[in-house]
Amino acid sequence: MSPTPASSAEVRAPTYRLKKNVPVPYTQNLPDIVRRNIGHWTDRKYHGTGIIEHISDTGDHLFTVKAGATPNARFSTETLRKFAQIADDQGLGSLRFTRSGSVEILADSLERALAVKKAVEEIGFFVGGWGHTLWSVNSCTSYLTCTTAVVDAPSITQALYDQMVPYFTGEIPLPAKLRINVAGCPTACGGLVADIMLAGHYGAAPSYDPDKIRLCLPTNAKVLSHVVPEVQMVCPVNAIESFARPDGSVGINIIEKKCIGCGRCKDVCDHITWDPSKVGVSVLIGGKSSNTGVGPTLARVLVPWIPVRPPKYREPVAVVRKIIDVWRAGAKPGERVADYVNRVGMKTVFEALKVPVGLWNRPAELNTGFGVREFLPR
Amino acid sequence: MLDELEKGPWPSHVTELKKGQYPIKAYARGLGEGLSPWFGGSARIRCEFTGFIARRTKDGQQTEVHFRIYHPSGQFYRTDELRKLLDFCDKFGLGSVETVGQTGDLVMPIQPELADQAVDELRALGTDIGGTGDTFRDSAACVGPALCEYALFDSLAARDYFFRYPAFYEKLASQPFPFKIKLKFSACPMDCARAAHRADFAFVGLWEGAPEVDPTALRAKVEAGEVSGKDLAARCPGKAIRWNSSTQELSIDGAKCKKSMNCIRQAFPAIKPGPNRKIAFMMGGHSKGRSGPKMAKPVALLDDWKSAAEFMDRVMAHWSDRSPHKDRLGDLLVEEGFEKVVDQFKEHLPVEPAGHVVGAPRIVNSSVLTDQERETFAAWADAIAREYEG
Repeated sequence: MSPTPASSAEVRAPTYRLKKNVPVPYTQNLPDIVRRNIGHWTDRKYHGTGIIEHISDTGDHLFTVKAGATPNARFSTETLRKFAQIADDQGLGSLRFTRSGSVEILADSLERALAVKKAVEEIGFFVGGWGHTLWSVNSCTSYLTCTTAVVDAPSITQALYDQMVPYFTGEIPLPAKLRINVAGCPTACGGLVADIMLAGHYGAAPSYDPDKIRLCLPTNAKVLSHVVPEVQMVCPVNAIESFARPDGSVGINIIEKKCIGCGRCKDVCDHITWDPSKVGVSVLIGGKSSNTGVGPTLARVLVPWIPVRPPKYREPVAVVRKIIDVWRAGAKPGERVADYVNRVGMKTVFEALKVPVGLWNRPAELNTGFGVREFLPR
Repeated sequence: MLDELEKGPWPSHVTELKKGQYPIKAYARGLGEGLSPWFGGSARIRCEFTGFIARRTKDGQQTEVHFRIYHPSGQFYRTDELRKLLDFCDKFGLGSVETVGQTGDLVMPIQPELADQAVDELRALGTDIGGTGDTFRDSAACVGPALCEYALFDSLAARDYFFRYPAFYEKLASQPFPFKIKLKFSACPMDCARAAHRADFAFVGLWEGAPEVDPTALRAKVEAGEVSGKDLAARCPGKAIRWNSSTQELSIDGAKCKKSMNCIRQAFPAIKPGPNRKIAFMMGGHSKGRSGPKMAKPVALLDDWKSAAEFMDRVMAHWSDRSPHKDRLGDLLVEEGFEKVVDQFKEHLPVEPAGHVVGAPRIVNSSVLTDQERETFAAWADAIAREYEG
């Protein structure tokens, strides 16, 4: 891309790009106070729900202030510049992004950390999300960039957050940490380690675009004798079969009785489609990543389907609020949703919520003992 | 529709996207139709085979190309560096950033016609695009010793190490595997990087035996009212703690300890992880895959992360050899048998394999319902919604 076009003899393929320029070592990006205290931290103090004081054996005290991210952690460069300015004016000229995309600004005194908090709130963001609060609502990109998304996770996340600010700031106390994941499709990019999880899906077996499905299949029926089309191969339950027509063209059948609606076919073929009037989200509870309480577990289905209606998402928001209320009423201090469910039993939770039980949401108990516990003596 | 999403108290992604040039109309139409507006698109960037994704709307009117950019381990930025990255975004992108994507990367929509030039500009800023398709996705580490007193190993250095490990590094620019592969590093059993579920290869800090108790320091904390010995014993998930209230002494049975970190988090540093530190090395966890979401399975307790590299390389080669496209490593382990695969490659581990696998049924988070079933659940949800409207 030089200003004067190079002659074809001078053009070189930029093969140096095949060696990725990876951002290592991490120490080069650290502010001085962090670099000199690596491995020296000995204690922490919470100042409210959004400020942590890190105490080092070198005598240093570092304060981190957490500002909750927008849904899907989408920020404009303008807003991120404002955060950078706050980090310069009130902080140590440094910030980090958490695993959920929240912004953590570093400061060197409580006074300055409180000034950071004030400045963050002035630009319309909330400070909180540590301790017994709603840590974050993790959302995939869905309709913002994704081809497989069934429902739009960022707008569901927005609707949830709009109702749950007091849980994030700590104004309404929770029994323990709460993490909510919202996924636009059954793939659930964010994983199933959330206390409450919503996952979009078709609500029925998918169908396909009859004109364009050929683009995902071999052009010649003869090929089918020795090749399984990818759209058929990826199905985990053999619910897709391919066939040859007398005219030599190729087609597929989706067997509804076998289908579990996982969406893997859509992953490899853009021309799998579905009826938007039947889509919904499943609601899962009891996932967590940390080894506290019952240890890491994967969330289990509470309700297999509830309708989604943007932009308010009346039903999913109400159901999540209801689950939180049941948990708040029943949990002991420090009990995350998984620990609570494990103690009282999934059946009790189903009964408390009066959930209709069907083929897809039997009240199965949480499986536990995973992660590092698999290494412990039995 | 979009305006509605900007009315609430929580800062809106729509407001943020509107400040830049992101094709927000496509998003609005998607929400209106109840379908994602995007189909797979195409973009050509010379000598780049991973790190960018191209989309087009179904009618071809709008396109979207985004970069996946490697974060430094720990995602720390000095403001001067961050501003350089934002300048880059304003020049080549659409003025919009997803600070951390689901894989842990920095996602940035880019102007397609400038994408090729942008790669070089980005490399000059000390990072690169990568982590799309059937290759190493951006690996993730918890904040580790940089900010956390519980770190049992340097999760950030471990991520850096595998970034540069030659046999892995050479694969970053191509797509040599059946499907994605993820590495995650958590420095203690709290597993903030969510390694045990979301990584094909997971490293989680652990110690053997009981936590170490400093009786004098603990007594001081108890006397100061900061810690209750009785409470520590009551809340221990393994019932491993005994509190003698008359002598004010606490003892922990290492054989019963579940490493839940409860007592350590309450009483640190008077109670801290035991001195015999290990790294729990696990494999086969994932959310997306043929056989459904699952937790990783235990391979071995290592003294350092480096000693796992050769084993990982062999297992990945085996997976590439055996698995069809879109099958994760965890799917292969289900198919061939986890123990069998470990057994086949255990000579490349520095220690004997350890741990026992906890089985679990497949989780299906989707469903195929009849109209009547959907009506039943809709009526149930409607009743709850009314409760909150009332």
